[in-house]
Amino acid sequence: MRRLLPAALTAVALLLTACGTGGTPQAGTAVQAATPPDDQLDTAATVDVRLVLEPTSLNIFGTSGAALDQILLDNVYQGLVTIDTNANDKIVPALATSWETSPDGLTYTFHLVRGAKFHDGSPLTSADVVWSLQQQIAPDSKAVYSANFATIDTVTAPDPATVQVRLKQRDSFLLWNLTQRGGIVYKQGTDFATLDGAENGSGPFTVAQWNRGSSITLARDENYWGAKPKVAKVVFHYITEQNAANNAQLTGQTDIQTAVDPTLLSAFAGNSGFAVLKGTTTDKFTLAFNGTQAPFTDPAVRHAIRQAINKQDVIRAYGAGLAIGSAVPPQDPWYEDLTGIDAYNPDNARKLLADAGFPNGLSLTLTVPSIYPAAISDVLVSNLKQAGITLTVQPVEFQTWLTKVFQQHDFQLSLVDHAEPRDLANYTKPGYYFGYDDKQVQDWYAQARLAATDAERDALLKRVGRQISEDAATDWLLLGQASTVVRTGVYGVPQNETSNRFNLSTVAVAK
Amino acid sequence: MTLFVLRRAGLLVVSLLVASLLVFVLLRLLPGDVAATIGGIQASPEQLAAIRAGLGLDRSLAVQYGDWLTGVLRGDFGRSQLNGTSVSAELAAKLEVTAPLIAGAIAVAVAVAVPLGTWAAVRHRGWAGGGISALAQIGIAVPALWLALVLVLVFSVTLGWLPAQGFPVDGWAEPGAALESLVLPWIALGLTEGAVLLRFVRSAVLGVLHSDYLRTARAKGLTRTRALLRHGFRNAAVPVVSVLGLQLATLVVGTIVIERVFTLPGVGSMLVTDVGNRDLVKVQGEVFAVVAAVMLIGFAVDLVHRIVDPRLQEAR
Repeated sequence: MRRLLPAALTAVALLLTACGTGGTPQAGTAVQAATPPDDQLDTAATVDVRLVLEPTSLNIFGTSGAALDQILLDNVYQGLVTIDTNANDKIVPALATSWETSPDGLTYTFHLVRGAKFHDGSPLTSADVVWSLQQQIAPDSKAVYSANFATIDTVTAPDPATVQVRLKQRDSFLLWNLTQRGGIVYKQGTDFATLDGAENGSGPFTVAQWNRGSSITLARDENYWGAKPKVAKVVFHYITEQNAANNAQLTGQTDIQTAVDPTLLSAFAGNSGFAVLKGTTTDKFTLAFNGTQAPFTDPAVRHAIRQAINKQDVIRAYGAGLAIGSAVPPQDPWYEDLTGIDAYNPDNARKLLADAGFPNGLSLTLTVPSIYPAAISDVLVSNLKQAGITLTVQPVEFQTWLTKVFQQHDFQLSLVDHAEPRDLANYTKPGYYFGYDDKQVQDWYAQARLAATDAERDALLKRVGRQISEDAATDWLLLGQASTVVRTGVYGVPQNETSNRFNLSTVAVAK
Repeated sequence: MTLFVLRRAGLLVVSLLVASLLVFVLLRLLPGDVAATIGGIQASPEQLAAIRAGLGLDRSLAVQYGDWLTGVLRGDFGRSQLNGTSVSAELAAKLEVTAPLIAGAIAVAVAVAVPLGTWAAVRHRGWAGGGISALAQIGIAVPALWLALVLVLVFSVTLGWLPAQGFPVDGWAEPGAALESLVLPWIALGLTEGAVLLRFVRSAVLGVLHSDYLRTARAKGLTRTRALLRHGFRNAAVPVVSVLGLQLATLVVGTIVIERVFTLPGVGSMLVTDVGNRDLVKVQGEVFAVVAAVMLIGFAVDLVHRIVDPRLQEAR
């Protein structure tokens, strides 16, 4: 059974090549048409959306995975603040209309929106906010990202519409972390063990139905406290296979297809029935070195491998993307173009290897989850060969990768998509599977967290981004691009970072 | 007959026990566990250990197996470690898709194989018989997956007659839509299975055609067709029923591929997902249920044999 699926996918790929639907995708960004006035919209409409990864459970408190954030954040659950993905992830109000910070940076005061309530009708007050944050900072917290809130000392509610968060030390990451799932406001007393089937959020949608293995339906909460969504229902269809997803979109079974394989976009090119939206992602395809193990303990080897890989070749094989040169995507304020560090130079790579004691090259093994296109590994094999490195590709199931590479650090080279936004912290944990341990980087990161101003924080994180690239902590093959195909007559579709959150509040359908 | 049934039933029970142990042990050979699925790539080793302990994964394998088996004996196939859903309840829900899928595929297979196979046997010297045999040979060579993709390309994408994938959100509450979404999977699975069956039907009928009793029947004045219908089919049915029973097992595997291609929320898709998530308590319940079903069908096929062909009873 485990052998059948890869075989099936290969066959699909073969058929696609045979049909000639592959090829260079059309460049350019389609702009969405402006949403028409409400009287021209079908507010009773159901929108069908193709997503890829189904959540394993709906318990967003205790289960990891972006698949949960993608459908539940903003739509079903809300935090004090959220982000605007159309404005470079700017932090914007959600349940808090405004907030201020004390001059010493240790006290955050949030003013709650009026009239907010949970799906069960009960009012959302500061007591719920306090309780929710206390669940995050409790010593035995089962929350997935509880470590994000380690700087919180106390949370109090001076009155029903105000929340005060006192910190042990400055934390310039606090607001961002509150925009993520750790900031969700639950109703006081929520039993997280039963959260899977009993969501009670404050967002514009409720979970209406979950057909495990195929779809999740969200329905508009008719009693929502804020501006009502413009559609009655949204059905998320989980279709892993790219070709099946394309067919579903082409035949009208879905209205919105997210995460389209860029090499298959030509099926929609020049078709007036569809718009193709190109958006940003935080998908950093990271080639990790086992930094605690020879030969990667020698920086020259790491630099040689980075210089041997032509990122443009990888991007072409993937079908779209951007070379970034470090772990920071352009939408982060501390981004800078670092593609000049270890730029493509196979001759120098060969020389570096020779100086490092490998004049005749070396043989390495790449452990890669089989979910990624084999074309990427193929490019790595041929690129590295130019520099004298023989690369053996070992595709494994993602779960095997988690155990072997992530937990046991049993690998030489690994390729995985680090999809989480703002995850520079991974480069500050010596025990992380990269095995990258640099005191300076750890200090800068800690200082950035303590920074008094955003400018100060951004400058420090910029240094971190540069340093990890100069140290060749890992290599960054490409930053993914989000391709979304939208049926004509559907408006307000999220375009950026759609695999992290898919805010439905603006989606609308023409009558 | 009673002795035969008892002996077979005893064998069935022993086989089921062995199967339960095999399923349990083989799944434990997979790297990774459900705790990693829950924790993901942000969890620290301490968090993972806590999740593991919470799920009882730190207990010995013997204890875990004993727990599970006593549950199964009481009819409780366990619960998902990821989200607490009951295995039996979800299996029942998925069977609403998979059972009709398999039944329809068998119907298509039989509808194709019996008349064409018989015809190919009767005309085995002519071009029609040869042509049908050649087609069947091609049918066996073509993977169900490829056929499925071609069917989608023609009937969904180009002609727009049938849905390309999926099952109605409300399932059989929309019977028309549910049937529509099963038509292409039925054909894809049924034709490939039918091609295999056709060859068995052909050779079974051929064997019957040259038998003495059919010659006798014709000597008594029956036409070939009437002799075949009255005396031949019952005899030809014995090996064909066995093959159908065996094919049911391969059909279960075939549904995994077909359900993935058409994204049908059936048992096959569920198994692939659960194995991927290492939700092993759920997987072992599901696999064991499927294995038990196949074994029970084998048991039933044996009994049917005895009834269809009384000679087997006298032999013992």
